[in-house]
Parts: sequence; structure tokens; C-alpha cells
Amino acid sequence: MKKKLLATLLVATLAIASLAGCGKKSADGSGSPADTGSKNNATTETKAEGDLSFNITVWVPELAVDLTKSQIEAFNASNPDGINFTATVEAVSEADSATTMITDVESGADIFFFAQDQAARLIQSGGLSKLGIQAAESVSAANAAGVVSACMSGEDMYAYPLTADNGYFMYYDKSVVPEADIDSLEAIIADCEAAGRTFCMETDTSAWYIASFFFGTGCVSDWETDEDGAFISVNDTFNSDKGLIAAKGLYKLQTSPIHVSSSQGSEFDAAVPAAVVVTGTWDYNTVSDILGENMGVADLPCFAVDGASYHMGSYNGCKLLGVKPQSDAARSASLHKLAQYLVSEEAQMDRFNELAWGPANLNAQASDAVQANPGLAALLEQAPYSIPQGQIHGSWWDIAKVIGTDVGESDGSDEGLKAALQKYEDTISALFNMTSDEKEAMSVIGALCGTSWDTDFPMTRSAEIGAFYYSDVLELKAGDEFKCRMGASWDVNFGADGALDGPNVVVEEDGFYVIKLAVNDDKTEGIITLEKNSYVNGWTVIGVVAGSNWDADFEMAVQDDGTTYKSVDTFDMTAGTEFKVRQGHNWDVSYGDGTENFVVEADGTYTVVFDSTTGTITLE
Amino acid sequence: MNTAEKNIPNTKEKGMGMKARRTLGDIAIYIILIIMSIIWLTPFVCIVLQSFRCESTWQVGYVIPQQWGLDNYKGLLETDFVKWYSNTFIMALVVSVLQTFIVLCMSYTLSRFRFKLRKPLMQFMLILGLFPGMLTMIILYRVLKDLGLTMENAIPGLILVYIASSGMGYYISKGFFDTIPMSLDEAARVDGATRMQVFFQMIMPLSKSIIIYTILTAFMGPWGDFIFAKYISFNTSAGMNVAVGLYSWLNKDMIASRYTMFCAGGVIVAIPVTILFLFLQKYYVEGVTGGSVKG
Repeated sequence: MKKKLLATLLVATLAIASLAGCGKKSADGSGSPADTGSKNNATTETKAEGDLSFNITVWVPELAVDLTKSQIEAFNASNPDGINFTATVEAVSEADSATTMITDVESGADIFFFAQDQAARLIQSGGLSKLGIQAAESVSAANAAGVVSACMSGEDMYAYPLTADNGYFMYYDKSVVPEADIDSLEAIIADCEAAGRTFCMETDTSAWYIASFFFGTGCVSDWETDEDGAFISVNDTFNSDKGLIAAKGLYKLQTSPIHVSSSQGSEFDAAVPAAVVVTGTWDYNTVSDILGENMGVADLPCFAVDGASYHMGSYNGCKLLGVKPQSDAARSASLHKLAQYLVSEEAQMDRFNELAWGPANLNAQASDAVQANPGLAALLEQAPYSIPQGQIHGSWWDIAKVIGTDVGESDGSDEGLKAALQKYEDTISALFNMTSDEKEAMSVIGALCGTSWDTDFPMTRSAEIGAFYYSDVLELKAGDEFKCRMGASWDVNFGADGALDGPNVVVEEDGFYVIKLAVNDDKTEGIITLEKNSYVNGWTVIGVVAGSNWDADFEMAVQDDGTTYKSVDTFDMTAGTEFKVRQGHNWDVSYGDGTENFVVEADGTYTVVFDSTTGTITLE
Repeated sequence: MNTAEKNIPNTKEKGMGMKARRTLGDIAIYIILIIMSIIWLTPFVCIVLQSFRCESTWQVGYVIPQQWGLDNYKGLLETDFVKWYSNTFIMALVVSVLQTFIVLCMSYTLSRFRFKLRKPLMQFMLILGLFPGMLTMIILYRVLKDLGLTMENAIPGLILVYIASSGMGYYISKGFFDTIPMSLDEAARVDGATRMQVFFQMIMPLSKSIIIYTILTAFMGPWGDFIFAKYISFNTSAGMNVAVGLYSWLNKDMIASRYTMFCAGGVIVAIPVTILFLFLQKYYVEGVTGGSVKG
């Protein structure tokens, strides 16, 4: 017994030792290009200048792994710049990739496929790198507008369009639902009931499908993001008269005994088989295997409420390709080239041919093969009623999915349905009031800096003194008017006399100002003071430059080192042009060539560079 | 016994013989047991049957396959399942050996040695044990990442995680060791045995059940783990265990083509555990209850 045990332990120790060895080896070996499993961030450091070989990780859904591998190899063989990727392609579904990416961006894949509703989250967490202007232009031109809009946040483009097929339509069993009935929800439900078959639409657990009814009656849920991917506002009309009509339609389906909340194509093979399943192209093969000849695909039907008929709407979503931000510029540029290759017309057609993914590329969409695909054709039929899925707040899916059950459990009366919608609206509006920081933030608004009471200039809360706020340096003109308000609303606002809802503050003299605001504890009094300020950094160029003659200051921006300043504009200067650099818009401190004016020696376009520690000026 | 005899007149008053009453009771109990076992077994039977279904790969509304075959099992061999399975097996094996060793040493020490801070140490570990392990997940991930033990190297990383705190699971085996009389140790010590000899030659042979119980529980931990394994493998197929790997087949794109293979995977996962339990069941029960005997 003893010997046996000792032997076992020894073997185990050996096993551990060898395993530990394995781990170490592959971690150390990451510098060698042959080691495909190695970590990408370690490799860049040991690279010789100009060498464009990279180890990268790519996340694509399992079905697309082989195709993507061969596409990357084709890119290696075809690109003229000598870029060579050694890619580890991992099977990660689009649904998972963003979540994993956000957990640890550093370890995440360099290129990954994701569903568009994840874009905002990814941008916010720094998981997506911006496209260059040229790339953005060419990609936008080649792909469908709806998909391109899903790639944008603010004015910037953050992702590449991959597919335009992430929408849903109706699969039905022709032997149960006759062709004549497929346009009417009521007729279909009656057919299903008569045949004892089910109608499957995932309206209990998925906002994606519930929205169908609301879009059908013309409701909208538009979310707006800023360039950082943060949500700033929503225009949501689900809780309205139109919304009530939609809720009535939804109630009809939810309370029908044959309704099953599911979106799986395999429902056609369930114990009580379905006659209708609302799902997307990904179930096409499954459904056609099950139903064979009897398979029908069509756009969604219409539902009738109070005599009027409404065509059910849908979300028209897409899949996108993202590139992770990189620290190495060459690597980043090469990855973006690969990304462009992967979303090119040919690559999208390859994916259509092998995986039946509906392309986003306009030329590919127009091709005969794509037009002939029944699933995509049904999507196309549904297209006029579908809403391009823009950026949607991540919480919306959870908030809106309860509408289904709430409506189903209500008594069906107007009041009951309205209550469900009111509950939804309350939760949505709470999203934007959630953070007390935002609610309490003060801002300056008025007719200033070229705006006209439509833009809030943020104020910073002073860390030392509680309710004391100051704005950035603003360039104000005499006659400008403004007020300070809280939480970008007029509920709490202060003006000239320090009282709530006081008169506008009027600026008396042109200049650069910091607006300061001291608010008392119960927020009934706020004293606004204007403090004159020179430029933030103080240093300006003045002289016979840019058409001025010692009468205008041109701003200089501080550089990363904190001591070097560069002129913001570039100047066309001829030999003999004179200027100086001065501080604070006055002549107390100024530098030229020593104390004399700086004289330009040769014609040219220059940026003025000033070293504030030595007082020397150079031209670039 | 007395109470039973006292009951006899009562039953007679109701006009029912003891034998009849016992038979009735047996029948009722058997019916309840049969119903319960059907409830318990149905999911397993379904999974096994589904894994042999060849006519389609998606979920269906019937249980008995129309075409029987091993296609799903063959299909598994062509996927990363083999890798996941060997990952899991290596982890479970290594962890069960190491953890058993650590736990037994710990229990022996706390049961037989008397040293300063012994009580405070035990209390400290009791309190540490009250914190849910999941709390440490994020920091563990960062540490393992810095060590390069995540993603494709997740297996050694996970082994570290699993055995790291295993010393704290000493309660049951210490309780068992406490039941072995100290005089045995003393006799051996008088005969010149070292502490180690006492442990290996005296205590171990007497504690077969507790050793097997410890091995079993140590084996089961990594075998069924999902959350830690999911985090640390970080979407890298080479570093996944079966649970995480199989889970990746459950998304909407895959499920229709992988459902029956998923079932087959589940059956294969269950095999080693089932075998272990079938053969070691006797010891397992002894082990679970062994520690509770007053020592």
C-alpha cells in the first residue's frame, strides 16, 4: 500500500512538473512566429523595423473558422505590402465576443466578429479602434447604408460591415397555412388552432421580437450616442396611442393558446410541431431539412386592430467586424488592411456561398445568387417594414422584454395595456436619470461662443469646496448672455442676481473668462462670477503674421512635455517677417530672438515652436 | 420493539392483519420510489437516447430515435471535444492526487500534532472558508494573466486555482483521523517509527474510505467546473474544459446542428464519474459519515 501510494504521488509530481514546463515554454516562446498560440502583445517588441509579420488572434463563429483561415491566407498571399499574419482563429460566437472582449480588452482578439447591438458597449470600453478617414469613406460607399450607420458612433466609424442579414421573418408549413392566409396574423393563428399546431415567436423573453408589433404601428425607439459611445438621449414612443394598438396586437398573440415563445427552427420537429416560426436565416437549413417541400418563407403578416391593419415590423440588424486598438502603429495599419480585405465584396460573397450569410456589400446584394436565396428574399420583402438597428442601450433589451409577459398577463383592457407600457416608459426614462453625478452636474448655457441657448458647456465641480463649480475658459463677447443650470434642464438654474430663475448674466467686455458658480446647500442660491483669464496656457504668437500687424494673438498649444508650445495654426511667412511670442496677451513677458523680434530667414510655411524653459523659438 | 408490540392490538381493532398492513405499506413505498426514480432517470435516459439519434441533429419532440447510430460520437472526435476532454481529465487527475495529498497531510497534522496557534489557525481557516470563492475570481484572473497562465495555458493555471486552497477542506478527514486512537500512534512511536512512518503505515491503511472520499470530491471539482474555467480559458479553445467547450455549442447559430452531439458529449463526460462512483460508492458513504463519528 505504502509503495503504491508513494509511486502515485511521485508520478503526480512528475506530471505537474512537466505540465508547468509546458506552460512556461509556450509563454516564453511567444516571440517565435511559428508559435501560433502565443500572446500577441509580447511579439511586437522583438520585431525588427519594417517587418510586417504579426501573430494575431481572430474570433469568428465556429462555422466561419475554416473560411476565415483561408481568407487570411489569401490576404497574406495577395497583399502588396508584405504583410504576413499568423492567425489563431478561435471559435467565439458573435453573441459572446463582445462580453468577453469587455472583460479584458488586452487579452481579447485583434479582429473579431460581433453583433451590432454590442457596438456601443465595445466603444465605451475601448475595444474598437477607429477607422481612418479613407477607409471609412470607401467602406461606407461600398456597403448598405443601414449597416454603415450601425458602425458609426457620433461622426466616427468604429467597425466594418460584415453581414446585413440579422433580421427575422416567417417560416411556415405550407400544408397548414395556405398561401392566401400568410398576410394576416389572425388567419394564421386560426389555421394553427384548426390544425393543432403552434405559432412560435419569442415574445416572452426577447425584446428583439416584441419590437415587431411596435414598429408595425409606427413607434420608434431611437437612441443617440456621442462619439465615445455613451448614450445621451432616447426618443421612445412605445408608450403612446400607436403603442397601445401594438400592445393590442401583441395581446392577441400572447393570449392565443397555440402561441409558443421560441425562436428555434427545430420547433417544427417538436412534440407539438409548429406551423409557424419567426426566426432568421441561421435556421434556414434546419427548417428546410424538417419541412422539405412544405417549407414556406414569407415576410411577417399584418395584424388587425379596430378595423385597421398593421404590417408587423422587424429589426434589421447586422454583424460587424471590429479591430482592437493596438499600441503598434504598423500592426494597427496592417490589421485594418486585413479587416478591409475581410469585408470586401469577394470575402462577403465567399461567406454567402459557404455559410449563406447575407452580404452587406451593395454589389454583392445585387448579385443574382444572393437575390435568389429564399431566406434573404424574405428578408428583402420584410425590409420596407424593418427598422435598421442602430445603437441601442444595453439595458433596453432587458427592460423591453417584459412588455411581452406584462401584456400577456394583463386583462387586455386599454388600462391594463397602458399600465404595462407606462411601466416600460418609466424604466426607460430612469436610465437617463440614474447617476446622481449627471443629475447634479452644472453647466453654462446661453448665447455665447456661437451657440444660441442650445449647447451646455460643462462646469467642473471643485474638489476642495463642496458646491463650487467652474467652467473651461470661454471666449465671450460683450453682450453675450448666459445662465447656469443643473442636469441640463431648467428645473434648477441661476442667473445674474444669484436667485433661482434669475435674469440672464450679460457680459460687459470681450475677453476670455472662466465662469464660476457657488451654490448653497439647498440649491436656492447660486452666485455667478466672471473671472477674466488669459489663454489657458498663456503663450501666443504676435507680429506681422497671417495678415495681422502686431495686433492679433495666435494661440499656441502646450505639448506633451509640458514646456514646449506649438502654434495652433501654421503661417505662410516670407523672409524678413518679424514676430515674437508673448505671455498673457501683454508685453510683460515676451521672447523673440533674445529680446529682439524673431526674424524669419527663408520663405516657407511654418509652425512656430517655443521652448518655455529656455525662451528659444524655432520654426518647423 | 416495545412500541411495535404495543401497536399490534390497535391494528387488530381496525380489522387489518399486520402482514396485510406491511404489504400495503410496501406497495405504497415502492410506488413512490418508482415514481421518484422515473422522475430522476428521465433526463438521463433522454440524453442517452438523443445521443444515439442519427436522423437529425436538432431538438425534436420525440424521445426514441428513428435511426440509431454512433454518428454523434464519431462527430465528436472531429471537433475540439477531444482536446477539451483531455484537458478536463488531466486537470481532474492532477488535482485529485495533489489535493488528496494536501488534505490528508493537513488533517493528520491538525489531528495529531499539538502546536502553538493550532486552534487559531483552524478558526482562521474556518472564517476564510466563509467567503465565497467567487469573490476572488477577478483578482485571480489578473494574477494568472500576469503569470501567463490564462488562455491556451489555462490548464496549469486552473490546476493552481483548484489546489490552492485545498488545505482548508480538512474537516471531514480530520474528524475521521480523530477517531483513530492516539494509542496506535504512541505504540508505533515507541517502536521507533517516525511521524511519517506512522502516517503512511498506520493511519493511511486504516483510512481507506476517507482517502477515497477525498479523491472523489477532489476529482469532481475540476470535472464539473464552469465559471472559473470559462473566465480563465478566455475563449481559447485549447484552454477549455468540457463544460465550457460544450457550452459554446449552445448559441442560436450552432444549436440546431450540434444538439445531438452535445448530448453525446454529455454522456461521455458522465462515464468516468459514473464508473468511479459505481466502484467506490461503498467507501464514499463510509467516508461521508466517517468523519461524523465521535472521536
